[in-house]
Amino acid sequence: MTDTVLSDQSIPGQSQGLFRVRQITDNVEARPVPSIATEPKLNPPASRAYFFGLMAPAIALLACISLYPFCWLIYMSLHDVEIGSAVWNNFENFTKLASDSRYLNGWWLLIQYSVMCLALQIGIGVFLAVALNGARFEKILVTTLLMPMMMAPIVAGLVWYFLYNGTFGWYHWLLQSVGILGPKSILASTGTALIGIVIVDVWQWTPLITLITLAGLKRVPQDQLEANMVDGASQVRNFFAITLPNLYPVLVIAVMLRFMDNFRFIDSVLALTGGGPGNATKILPVYLFEVSFKFFKLGRGAAIALTLLVVTIILGMILVRVFDRQQTRKA
Amino acid sequence: MAKVSFRSVWKKYGELAAVKDLNIECADGTFLSILGPSGCGKSSTMRMIAGLEHISAGDILFDDQRINDMAPRDRDVAMVFENYALYPHKTVFENMANPLKLRGQSTDRIRERVNAAANLLEIGQLLRRRPQELSGGQKQRVAIGRAIVREPKLFLFDEPIAHLDAKLRAHMRGEIKHMQRTLGTTMIYVTHDQLEAMSMADLIAVMHDGELQQLGTPREVYNQPVNAWVAGFVGEPAMNFLTCEVQARRDDVLLTHSNFALPLLPQQVQRLNGHAAGPVRMGVRPDGLSITMRKPSEPVITGEIFVNELLGGDMIVDVQLADARIRVKTAPEFEGVPGEACYVTVNREKWHAFDVENGRAFF
Ligand SMILES: Nc1ncnc2c1ncn2[C@@H]1O[C@H](COP(=O)(O)OP(=O)(O)OP(=O)(O)O)[C@@H](O)[C@H]1O
Ligand SMILES: [Mg+2]
Repeated sequence: MTDTVLSDQSIPGQSQGLFRVRQITDNVEARPVPSIATEPKLNPPASRAYFFGLMAPAIALLACISLYPFCWLIYMSLHDVEIGSAVWNNFENFTKLASDSRYLNGWWLLIQYSVMCLALQIGIGVFLAVALNGARFEKILVTTLLMPMMMAPIVAGLVWYFLYNGTFGWYHWLLQSVGILGPKSILASTGTALIGIVIVDVWQWTPLITLITLAGLKRVPQDQLEANMVDGASQVRNFFAITLPNLYPVLVIAVMLRFMDNFRFIDSVLALTGGGPGNATKILPVYLFEVSFKFFKLGRGAAIALTLLVVTIILGMILVRVFDRQQTRKA
Repeated sequence: MAKVSFRSVWKKYGELAAVKDLNIECADGTFLSILGPSGCGKSSTMRMIAGLEHISAGDILFDDQRINDMAPRDRDVAMVFENYALYPHKTVFENMANPLKLRGQSTDRIRERVNAAANLLEIGQLLRRRPQELSGGQKQRVAIGRAIVREPKLFLFDEPIAHLDAKLRAHMRGEIKHMQRTLGTTMIYVTHDQLEAMSMADLIAVMHDGELQQLGTPREVYNQPVNAWVAGFVGEPAMNFLTCEVQARRDDVLLTHSNFALPLLPQQVQRLNGHAAGPVRMGVRPDGLSITMRKPSEPVITGEIFVNELLGGDMIVDVQLADARIRVKTAPEFEGVPGEACYVTVNREKWHAFDVENGRAFF
């Protein structure tokens, strides 16, 4: 392949439009010597015992604080547990769940609750992050925004309980005077109570999403945004084509954190409604709490907890898988 | 296709002025090369044209239309970025198709254009890969491909072939120039490699420290540099500089140095413009000198061969004078060996004199 060849050998009839197409004439004599290297004998890999030795203390600690209780959980889920006694009951704890309408309803409510919380938090959180990114006083604004997150969930629940209150709640008064609400508190009617607890969760945890997204936004490659802009993209299109795909990994993490919290944290729900009115906000973890610690059906509670755990793990694994794929695509 | 004009353009990053009072008129269809060392404000200039950087002061015009406040996508330019700026989650094909897709071209048309560009750039076999699976030079070619699939008003190439190997670079120089000629699209091409600018451009803008030094054709920039800095930057091997004295003697004006005293040509005396005596910097390119081993009849500089380098078709001889060293270009058959005495003659048509203080060229 030489320059003279390149510039002179345009092939007639093959030129495509504006571009010349040249033939690449490989210089055969110039090819390198064929490789004669044979497969090497590989050096032994680093010793595994050494690694296990290093990890042993951590593994031991983990075994004590989580493996042991976990085994107990499984044990209890298979027995009728009273304080001081446990009787094997042929998987009855599990089989009965299938016909327990409050258990099934708990799942259904949990799904609604989680999906609403996640959708709103991600939507509002990302919007806020984009609006705040690079804004004047960004640091101060973000700090202010983080306030709700620093509050203990139980306190948040109580604060909102009063804000929602039908007789003297400020928000209730506000919403009622604009005509959105009737005279009843949002938490008092079965139709709106779930919305009520979603709002509190969104209020408290949207800042977390904003914070994570802001960190993600700082890492969106500026040069790609610029290239896409010159290529002819509008701001909006640029956001969806470049910014958002670059945010996916952090959003996956955010979703993972938040859905796990929704599956675990019931402080604010207990403070706001305690699962009521009726069973309107009795999402599964609240029901689990009731079964175990109000009715003291520890075996049944363990079975519910186990199903919740399994679903959490499966969803978590799916999200980790998605995250991994995002990472490999990026790398 | 567009004429591009810079009217007193400034770019300031806080206190730092990266581009200072830039005035350039670039006619429609011109291949303009912006040439300068690293950090002289070339990329800043490009980014202002593309709309990626705010124009601190002055105006940039496309065909007499002021574009300062126009969005990048409305400017209809295609740019090759210094750092490629490829989309990592897209394949090479999708990368190159992006500008067409964003402008709503049909799938057939996109495929045709991308394939044509890929053929030109010899990356046809890479279309399925993603950027992280490419070498630096391949990425750079994809970046060029993304720019040339469209027929924009203006091409902006920011050091587009800096990462290719020498052979491919020579090849791409030819291809880019040919493509620009064929399309007739105005091209602004940034480079720090003077050879690239010389060999490709219709018009070269030499920049230094944010300031335009000289705007001219490659010939003008090479043969009539406006100051010592341009003279030293353009041309490889670089120009020889010797500090000389101007001395009037009888009807001649001489340029004297401890090694020689040579008369100036009449038109050069005129250009000295009253600078009748005192120091000047004499500059002469290696190809304005010739070297022999036997003393010729004309006035010469005597010296000793320090080292000679054979560069294939040329030979560069470093000659040690009493208190300076100069480089001379000669034919590869030159038989002198280091340590021998030699004689250098100056082609006085080709020498230059610069003001010692401000570096401005007298001739
Ligand atoms: N975003 C920025 N903020 C502050 N200073 C900048 C910025 N971009 C560039 N500069 C400065 O402006 C000057 C010109 O930079 P520019 O990128 O235009 O140089 P260049 O000629 O393209 O150099 P190179 O050949 O290395 O690419 C440099 O001194 C650089 O440090
Ligand atoms: Mg640059």
